[in-house]
Amino acid sequence: MTPSLPTILMGQVVSLNTPAPPEASGDYAVSRAGMVGMLLMLASQEVERGPAAQAWENRTLRALFAETAGAYDEALGGALSAASGVSEGDGGWSAVDAANADLRRRLTALHEAAEVRRDTGLQRRILDLYVEMAKARRLDLPGAG
Amino acid sequence: MTLAEQLAAYLSRTEGRPVAVENLARISGGASRETYRYDAVSEEGRRPCILRRDPPGSLIDTDRRLEFLAIRSFLGREVAAPEALVLEVDGGELERPFFIMGRVEGGSPASPFAVDPYGAHAAEIGEQFFSIMGRIAAEPVDGLPILEAADRPAPDACWRRELDYWSGVIDADELHPQPIVRAAIRRLRASPPPPATKIAVVHGDFRSGNFLHDGAGRILALLDWEMAHLGDPLEDLAWAMDPLWSRQGDPRISGMVTAEEALAIWRRASGLEVDPKALAWWRLFASVKGQAIWTSSAKAWLDGGMKEPILLFSGWYTARAQDEILARHLSELGPV
Repeated sequence: MTPSLPTILMGQVVSLNTPAPPEASGDYAVSRAGMVGMLLMLASQEVERGPAAQAWENRTLRALFAETAGAYDEALGGALSAASGVSEGDGGWSAVDAANADLRRRLTALHEAAEVRRDTGLQRRILDLYVEMAKARRLDLPGAG
Repeated sequence: MTLAEQLAAYLSRTEGRPVAVENLARISGGASRETYRYDAVSEEGRRPCILRRDPPGSLIDTDRRLEFLAIRSFLGREVAAPEALVLEVDGGELERPFFIMGRVEGGSPASPFAVDPYGAHAAEIGEQFFSIMGRIAAEPVDGLPILEAADRPAPDACWRRELDYWSGVIDADELHPQPIVRAAIRRLRASPPPPATKIAVVHGDFRSGNFLHDGAGRILALLDWEMAHLGDPLEDLAWAMDPLWSRQGDPRISGMVTAEEALAIWRRASGLEVDPKALAWWRLFASVKGQAIWTSSAKAWLDGGMKEPILLFSGWYTARAQDEILARHLSELGPV
């Protein structure tokens, strides 16, 4: 995961308000302004799709942990069961992001445990989930891909 | 004092004669260092140069001495290396470490956003690109200047050194947990590649966009040697083949030649064989290394006061694209 949208938008304000030295004017300044424009275009996609992608990922991970917790040892199983209690606070961007970080750490622990057990069925599910998670977070550049 | 005045003071002091700096301008590219073009004017005439200065926050923390010596290792060896002129590790009048290269005129790098960056010259450029890579792989390392600064790993240790380094970068710079790249790192550790068939200079960022071409089918200069090191030459080959540099649906690597053609060109130029198992390992590693660089970029953007938008672009858009590539790759490999 990458910097959160509020931080990204704040960064563009900083970029636009940072005076450039004389040697960084001209073509470089034009190119830099174009990059800021591109980032704002990507930010508009994140505003549109990001909340749904985050909510889906958190919901899916909680469901996976609830289903698999009983199959693992006490420590990991307990951590997975507790995932249902991970708070999303006020539902704002930062709180949901923090909950997502917690859930992703548990996902890595579950995947490691599935590899140790040679649980190929669960590994397959997790690998498929990775594809969906990455796809849900995709940003599109016009003309690319 | 402006940067141009600082640079003129440095050059005049070290050369022991008046040197003026004209037309100093920052240029895009090489996000790990600030890059400027300028003309050095002295009694001998006008010399077009490039200045590469360490930034306050960097995309990747690399050793500029290693970069300088790597470039110097290949001057005049048919690999299109620019001329390395001056290395100043203390910074001098410029306050931060820097080095100076001769400027290669008449060319430009391909834009990462170009649909068909080389047009009708794609095959010619691809032939040169993979031939240059192969010639670097073929070069015996004994006696090269890069040995003054680079460690020479054992053939069976190349993979571990690189994986340890780049997974360490992720450990240090990660802002948010990344289960996909973590799974790829575990997979790489669990199934190492065969030992390198030779120890060679690895450019470290050998890809489309990191060379100048003249628009008429000729590569003029290979740039951005900041990640150069000694290691398994398949690392460069795999890095260039990462899907990140190619458009989806285009069977060519970076719009140049197909993978089969690339391997054939590389084999001819290097005189080396390509072990498919080894190349497969280095290809997954390439995506891990990429994700480490983008992770580091996001951290550098924040640490640098959020001023450089190119760092954010790498740490956001490119990081997510790399995650998709990694996830697809792991899914194709299947469970362990």
